[in-house]
Amino acid sequence: MRATWVLVGAVGLAALSPLRALSVAGAATHPIYQTGRHDAGTPNSDVVTRSHGHITSYGDSAITYSAPPSALKALGYALYLENCATCHGTQANGVPVAGTSGAYPNLVGLGPATIDFWIESGRMPSADPRSVQAPRRPPRLNHRQALAIAAWINSLDPSYPYIPTVHLRGGNVATGMALFALNCAACHTIEGDGDALARSTFAPSLRNIPATQVAEAIRTGPGNMPRFTGNLSDYQVRDIVKFVTTEIQHPRNPGGFGLGGLGPVAEGFVALLLGVAFLALIAFWVGERQ
Amino acid sequence: MSDATTTPRSRRQARGRYGRVSQVVTEIDERLGVARGGRTFLDKIFPDHWSFMLGEIVLYSFVVLLVTGVFLSLYYVPSATVVTYHGSYLPLDGMPMSQAYASTVNLSFAVRAGLLMRQMHHWAADIFIGSMVVHMARVFFTGAFRKPRELNWTIGVTLLTLAIVNGFLGYSLPDDLVSGTGIRIAYSILLSIPVIGTYLAFWIFGGNFPGTVILERFFILHVLIVPLLMLGLVGAHLALLVRQKHTQFPGEGRREDNVVGSPMFPVFMAKTTGFLLIVAGVIALLGGLAQINPIWQFGPYEASRISYAVQPDWYMGFLDGALRIFPSWSFHSFGHTIPLEVTIPAVVLPGLLFGLAYAWPALERRVTKDNAMHHLLDRPSDRPRRTAAGAAVLALLATLFVASSTDVIANFFHVSLNTVLWTMRVLVLVSPFVAYPIAYRIAKEMHALHGAGRRKTPNVVTRTGEGEYRAEPAPAFADDAEVPLAPTPVPDFIAEEQPAPPPRGTRTTDR
Repeated sequence: MRATWVLVGAVGLAALSPLRALSVAGAATHPIYQTGRHDAGTPNSDVVTRSHGHITSYGDSAITYSAPPSALKALGYALYLENCATCHGTQANGVPVAGTSGAYPNLVGLGPATIDFWIESGRMPSADPRSVQAPRRPPRLNHRQALAIAAWINSLDPSYPYIPTVHLRGGNVATGMALFALNCAACHTIEGDGDALARSTFAPSLRNIPATQVAEAIRTGPGNMPRFTGNLSDYQVRDIVKFVTTEIQHPRNPGGFGLGGLGPVAEGFVALLLGVAFLALIAFWVGERQ
Repeated sequence: MSDATTTPRSRRQARGRYGRVSQVVTEIDERLGVARGGRTFLDKIFPDHWSFMLGEIVLYSFVVLLVTGVFLSLYYVPSATVVTYHGSYLPLDGMPMSQAYASTVNLSFAVRAGLLMRQMHHWAADIFIGSMVVHMARVFFTGAFRKPRELNWTIGVTLLTLAIVNGFLGYSLPDDLVSGTGIRIAYSILLSIPVIGTYLAFWIFGGNFPGTVILERFFILHVLIVPLLMLGLVGAHLALLVRQKHTQFPGEGRREDNVVGSPMFPVFMAKTTGFLLIVAGVIALLGGLAQINPIWQFGPYEASRISYAVQPDWYMGFLDGALRIFPSWSFHSFGHTIPLEVTIPAVVLPGLLFGLAYAWPALERRVTKDNAMHHLLDRPSDRPRRTAAGAAVLALLATLFVASSTDVIANFFHVSLNTVLWTMRVLVLVSPFVAYPIAYRIAKEMHALHGAGRRKTPNVVTRTGEGEYRAEPAPAFADDAEVPLAPTPVPDFIAEEQPAPPPRGTRTTDR
């Protein structure tokens, strides 16, 4: 008990320390940059395809995970040196952040899905490597270039998960909604709009995200997001992705203007400004003004 | 049958100017004697000032609430029994959920005009309580609560409390993910009350959260008990208003001992009926055009699930804001835990605020030592200290309301949630002390300003033969002159005979 309090005090002091806010080490050791070799998505699947002894794809009827084509390796290395090596180092193992004990993330062994997600969602290459959380932006590299970089990094130490392709056709939206409410809504909100989390981090909106990236995020856990591996089957991931790409992104939403999905705060402003104030204006018009 | 000497025309003439209507009314009056009271009622004088119509917004949104609420109660099933939903909203198809939630989704998608009625009901509730607050502010800032109307002020504060409670109960009924979270918070607030909290929570919920009976209990409270109380209090509120007559702003012909305005019939009746239709129309427009509380997106409530970015309706916002920003203090000793981080913002704070509202007329009488009858209203600038105190409380409530959306603000402006939290903590403590002097200064300045609040008189600019300009105030408007009114006297159709003094020892009463 006492030890807990000491720990809480230490964490509190660390959180309050202005040095921490200013130092890059703070940013570099932020959970968002914590990385580790992904042991997730190891082929334990219905269908495994091999070529020259290497697994090129695996999966089941819900999701197929495919390796980036190894033919793109050379292109990938060139692109990597151009776009990524400044921070992640020429061997993708991360370089120390100047003036601190921290280092930029080591990418070796992360698996192609992670690399593909960060590049294709436009988060990498980062415009501001020291920011707490990289925001989603229009991607600077295209799909083929992302695959190429993933192929090169994967060639250093082949690892999983591969890049998922979700077969949405068999997905069940209702199961997806239930799983979404259980696993995702606590941060992304039940309407998928996302919201602010502690200390300048945020859960991004899911309104405009392609199916592959939703699956990649679930399987690899970018940034603060937990990595969902053992507790969600491929079929469940497919249901969630189907729910997100249909009902969250194209909600069947009768009842008039949605007021930005901001909930009772926006509703309150509308009720007071459009409702009460408008009716008071009518009273002002009808009544005597003196 | 017909006599030779009577014709249809002569019979009509015999029935008088209003024909059969008059006959029926006379028949009723001869038996029940309603004419005299009815006449008094139809002659009741309503001041014409627009701010007196704010209370009517409250009344008419209450009417809309009752009508739409009856419609909703025909389809809503207050039951926690788990059913499997098979309906037109596919994302929920085949999902287990409470009958309450299933019936609300069905009401929204499968019942003709059901969604419109639900949204109108919700908007009407928001407008109901909003206009109540505005009406209360009008009564407060103009001093209309002063003697002899303290009782009506008390009834009004009680109505506001009941309305907020009933709004929360109604918000909870659909049993969706968001409202379930709200009930959970309410349960925790009950638990946080020292000594009696656990007993109270178990008594209300029939056991531990969530139990199986809470929806039935909330339902009967929401549709019967609280509305019945409110109807009775609204009746008392209006009866007192008729009995004590209206207040009025000072002005030409207006004295402490008269009321200047339009009679109930026909002027006020026409105006207020039109206003009823406008209020209903605005609520119907909002219900049809602006989405509110899309419960189908939230899914059914289960204790293990939660959504982020959940707020209560706006009138509970100040409580939610206080809960969010209060530091996590709690008291553990003697084998008991008192969660001060819940008790203080969610029990003590509203208790103090409503206690202050109830006590204000007595407090003000004590401070000003003014025990006289008041039928003429103050202008807010006449009473700088009262106005400033009201502004301070409103500022506190407004900042607490904003604090209920810390996450929305942080997300919208891309600032750290922690920064927003600390900013709101500071603002909540500071805002009343900023609002008070500002409002006080403005009231003082306005009071000192000559002619503030009165109609401006133009200047007449003339040019002399030498080219010099000269400005002189134009003569006052005829209706600005302080002349006592000579209003049309209320017609006295029923001549009353003065009763003779009763003999000693016997008592009589008039029929």
